[in-house]
Parts: sequence; structure tokens; C-alpha cells
Amino acid sequence: MKLSVQMVVVLTSVGLLSGSFLATVGILTKERVELNKQREVEAAIIKVVPGTESSTKLYEAKDFKVYGGKNQDGTLIGYGILVSGIGFQDKITLMLGTDISLTKTTRLEIIEQKETPGLGAKIEDEDVFLKFWEGRDCSQAISLRKPAVKTAEELAASEVNTITGATISSESVLKIVNNSVEKLRQLIKEGQIQDGEQDVH
Amino acid sequence: MSTRSIGQEFTKGLWNENPVLRQLLGLCPTLAVTGWVINGLAMGLATSFVLIFSSIVVSIIKKLIPSQVRIASYIVIIATFVTVADRFLAAYFPDISKDLGPYVPLIVVNCIILGRQEAFSSKNSVGRSLIDALGMSSGFVLTLLVLSSIREILGSGTYLGHQVMGSWFTPWIIMILPAGAFLALGILLGIALHIEKKTKSRI
Amino acid sequence: MTEKMLITQSSPHFRDKDSVPKIMYAVVISLAPAVFASLYFFRLRALLLLLCCVAACLATEAIFLRLRKKPLQALLDGSAIITGLLLAMTLPPSLPLDMAVIGAVIAIAIGKQVFGGLGYNIFNPALVGRAFLQTAFPVAMTTWIPPLTKTINTATYATPLGDLKFQDAVAQGTLAPLKDLFFGNTGGCLGETSALALIIGGLFLLSRRVIDWRIPLGIILSLSVFTGIFWLANPVKYASPLFHLLAGGLLLGAFFMATDMVTSPITPLGTWVYALGIGIVIGLVRLFGGFPEGVMYSILFMNTFVPLLNRHTRPRILGERRAQ
Repeated sequence: MKLSVQMVVVLTSVGLLSGSFLATVGILTKERVELNKQREVEAAIIKVVPGTESSTKLYEAKDFKVYGGKNQDGTLIGYGILVSGIGFQDKITLMLGTDISLTKTTRLEIIEQKETPGLGAKIEDEDVFLKFWEGRDCSQAISLRKPAVKTAEELAASEVNTITGATISSESVLKIVNNSVEKLRQLIKEGQIQDGEQDVH
Repeated sequence: MSTRSIGQEFTKGLWNENPVLRQLLGLCPTLAVTGWVINGLAMGLATSFVLIFSSIVVSIIKKLIPSQVRIASYIVIIATFVTVADRFLAAYFPDISKDLGPYVPLIVVNCIILGRQEAFSSKNSVGRSLIDALGMSSGFVLTLLVLSSIREILGSGTYLGHQVMGSWFTPWIIMILPAGAFLALGILLGIALHIEKKTKSRI
Repeated sequence: MTEKMLITQSSPHFRDKDSVPKIMYAVVISLAPAVFASLYFFRLRALLLLLCCVAACLATEAIFLRLRKKPLQALLDGSAIITGLLLAMTLPPSLPLDMAVIGAVIAIAIGKQVFGGLGYNIFNPALVGRAFLQTAFPVAMTTWIPPLTKTINTATYATPLGDLKFQDAVAQGTLAPLKDLFFGNTGGCLGETSALALIIGGLFLLSRRVIDWRIPLGIILSLSVFTGIFWLANPVKYASPLFHLLAGGLLLGAFFMATDMVTSPITPLGTWVYALGIGIVIGLVRLFGGFPEGVMYSILFMNTFVPLLNRHTRPRILGERRAQ
């Protein structure tokens, strides 16, 4: 066999064989991989919108997704906004739960972050940061309380606490939240969010 | 063709030709994912899987591949197994897969794997290639295990996620950051060289 | 015949009356005012930190000398004591002592001995120790207590530069008064609070010609010009150059850290580039970076350029021709 022919034949068959092998593996694992992703989102919605029994995807754009949480009767009880934005070091992905009228936050969950361990990474800390995000008035822009206070009672209705020593990370989260609430409000006004069209198991 | 005994073929990967400590290959995953033992172990095992199967396949078809296209063929074979490992982790260990991020696909360019194909599997029998791959993999996994153990214990005070250090201990956060990886690897390499020197001078 | 007949050392070779211990003990004396200031403001905490750091540095040095089979007399050259003193000077007074010891061990082991000991290190050892602590224990290294001369009843306390960066102190009018910065009546690391004590020590070193005057002058000049431009453009947002000179570790860094003979350039031109570079990087970090203070990182950063500066600012050898 001529060398050039042999080269073409060998490369083609290696490519074909591995291609078909990978296609099989891809099909076999596809379902599970997607299930994993779905589970993660669902677990977050149940956390941020208390009382959720099932959830719906209401809107999807790059780095900005809105899910609706429904109770047993299937009525929409709140929104879960999955959003990414720039933090101190890298992207922060979080999910914010709000009530249906978009006036009160229910809960904040950090999905993914790469802030400085020990400082900025405290945005994942329940006692230092997350608990201060429950039941905040988000009908106006939320603001940071500086310097930090000890209990939620000391904060005004639309204030959240700063993490001591990690002002930039706290501010990043605040900015992401304020932007996304504003964006969702705009979308509802424009009628782009309708209730319960596609169901997400 | 290798003239070593079967035993030597295996043990050379553990120390004398240890891919990380002696050949300084595969340093990217070694530095990047060893902040926690579980990640280091998963990366070591995924790399081993790719190395072992690539070595077997390459040594089987070594006669068929013209030398001009051998690198291209090796890379396609390696990439196939890497993708399998990547999909497997994403499907069954989603948390680890998320932690390892881009470093699983990057196994394709891990020099240990292509290096073994070039240096060994393309010239030796299937059996020897398998033993060689097993030895190199074990060397790689062990090194990652040692490095990630140091980093997890000092950096988080835990081992495999279990608290091992007392409450008096403040984690050295630097150890789970890239700087800690370089420091720990540098010290490991220094110790390895020192032991090597000692054993050589005794002979 | 042994292989050790010719001892080669890298150039440049200077002959000088000064010996290493003589220089080192001049530095120790020059640190005395700052040490007393830290004892006055932070009392027992300062004393314990200083003792721990110096003892740990000496112990680490002794272990390494032993391992490398070198004479233990080298311990007395004073360099380990200085590293310990300087490291303690850069630590917050409330830092737990075990962390200070870890920092001191790292400073000598990683900062100095792995490179081959005194004279071979690339980075200032004390700053290597501090950089390690800063990254390893970011919370403890950024927790401050007020000086014990102040009667303030707060759990947390910020440094003047922290106020500037995080609390918008210029606009709020809560910036620490220059008088406090000058005498040292503020929060901060042990040795950085009192500008007066540092200036006395620095002038002593300059008068004894132990340090190169270009380095402190260059750093002060470039930082003043850099921060001065922003201050003149918008005095409501930016602090004055005088504030930047007196606050934080600038004087400590300019007089005692950047001037380390081993890790600073040897040619006058190289020294100017090095010093001006440090000042500008400090300004960049303080005004635009994530950290309130940048003296440590900018000195370490410019340390990396020293071999390059030495090579490219080398005066031409007599008779050498410029390459065509």
C-alpha cells in the first residue's frame, strides 16, 4: 500500500472508530448529566422560595434565568433568579428568591464563587452574610450597611450587612442582586414573563 | 525494546522515573487540583484510566500507524478516553466534575500520557505497555495523594472532608491557593532530590 | 588535589571596612526608636511578638546552618535577628503568637535559606514571611486593635488606610489626623504606626551610610507625585500625598525593607528605577487595588526586577565598545 494512502486510511479509521465510540458514550450519559444539572437548580429553588413543591422555567438569557416556584395547588408563590456577575476575583453565580410581587426577598443562595477563602468567600456563610438577606425590602434598591452590625434588627428594611474585611465581595453580590431584581421587574412590566408555560418536573 | 524485568518495569514509575517527582511531567494538574484529597485522587484516577487504555490501544495498533501520523493518531486515541472519563465524572460524580472543571478535558495535553506513548507503548508489547502504564499511573496517583494530603490537612484542617485537626488549629489558607501548591511541590521535589542524592552516594 | 582550590563568587566584588555584623547591628540600633514606639503603643502584645519572631528566626537559622554543616557563628552576624525584628514590625498587634512563629520560620526557611543563605536570597526574607502570613491567615492579618494609648471601646478597629479604602474616609471627613499618624497614635502594624520613630531610625542609617539614600528618596518622590496628581485633581475623593507618606508601612518599607542590600540593585541608575517603581506600585495598589496597603507587595514585586536591573544598568567596562 502506498504510504500516503495508508496515512489517510489509518487516520480516518482511528477518527471514525473513536467518533462512534464517543457518540455511544455521549448518548449513554446524556440523560444523567442533564438530570444532575436540573437537580442542582431545583434544590436551589426549593431553598430560596420556601414552600415550593414544583418549579417552572420562566425566562432564559445568558447569565440570567428566572424560575417560578409553585406550591401544592400549582399557584406561583415566588421567583428564583439564577444570575451570574463579576465578583472580586471571578464570576459569582447566585440564586435570589423573591415573593411574587417582587417587594421582598425570601432568601439568597450562592451557587458558585471563587472569592478569597476566609474573606470574600464568607458570602457563603450563613451567620455572617446570608441570613441578613432574608425578608429584605427590594421594592427599591437594596443598600449595604457599613460598618457591619451584629443583628438583623439593627438594619433598615432595605439594608443588608457588609462582611468585615470583604467590602468588595459584599458590594459585588449587592450589585448583582439589585441589577437582577430590576431586570426581572422590567421583564414583568413588558409582559415577557408568563406564568407556568413550560414545566420543569 | 525494554530489557527490564517485569517488576522493574512497574516500579520504575513509582520512584526512579516517577512522572512528577523525577520527570517533572504533568505539573499543571498536579498544581491545580490538589487542594483537596478527593480532587487529587479523582484526577489521578482519571489520568490513570486514560493512560492505561491509551497505552494498550497504541501498543496494539503500533505496527499499523505510519510514523508521520503517529502523534495525530495518539492524540485522537487519548482524547477519546479523556472524553469518556469526563462524561463519566459528569454523570456519576457531578460534584467532583464541577470542582475539577476544565482540568479533566485538559488531561489530553498531559505530557505523561503522550510521553509514554512515544517513549514506550509505540515500541513495546501490549503486556509491557500495560505494566509500564500501571507503574506510571501509580506513581502519579501516589504523588498527587501525598501533595493533596499535605495541602488539605494544612489548608483546611481536614482529610477527605473529615476534621482531623483540633479546634486550636487555624487553617493555613495559603495551602489551598495556587501559591501553596507551588510551595508544597517545591518542598516535595527538594526532598525527593535529597533522598535520591543520599541513596546514590551510598552506592 | 581538592576541588576547592579556587573559590569563585559572583561579581561585583567590593572591598570595604564594613563587615556584615557591623552593618547588621547598625540596622538593629536604628530600629530601636520604632521598637520603643511599638512597646509604648501596644505594650505586652508588642513585646511578645518581637520576642517570638526573633527567637523563631534564630532557631530556624540555627537548624539550617546545622543541616548545611556550616559554622554556627554565622548566627551572630545579626541578619536573622533583623529578619525577626522586621517581621514583627509588620505584624498586627493582635496576631496570635503561633502564627507569628510560623511566619518567622517561613521567612528564614523559604525566604532566605532555600536560596543558599545570606546574600543569595532574591526576596526580602521578612516580607516573604509576612506575605505568607497575609495569604495563609487573611483574617488574623487584617484584624486591628486600637493603640492602648487610645480609650476607644470598639471590638473592631480599622487602620487609617483601611478607613480610606473601605469607608470613604476623605469624603466623610473621618480621615485620621496627620498628627496622630506622625506620632503613631493610630491602628496598624507594630512598627508602622509612628512615623517619627521611623524617620529617626532612617536618618541614623543614612548618616552612617548603611543604606542608599536613593531608595527612600525615590520611593517617597514617586509616591508623592503619583498621589499628588490625583489629590490635586479631586481632593474630595483622594487623600493628600502627606497622608500617604505618613500612613501605613510606607516609611518602614522605604527605610528598612526596600534598602536591604541583598535584594536591591547595585548600580545608581538601577536603584533609581527600583525605588521609583516601588513608589508607583504602592500608589496603584492604594488607590485602585483591592488591598488598602501595598508596600509589601510592591517591594517584593520590584525585588524580582533586581537581577534584571543590575544586568541592564551595568556601566560599560573601560574600553568596551557598544555593540554595532
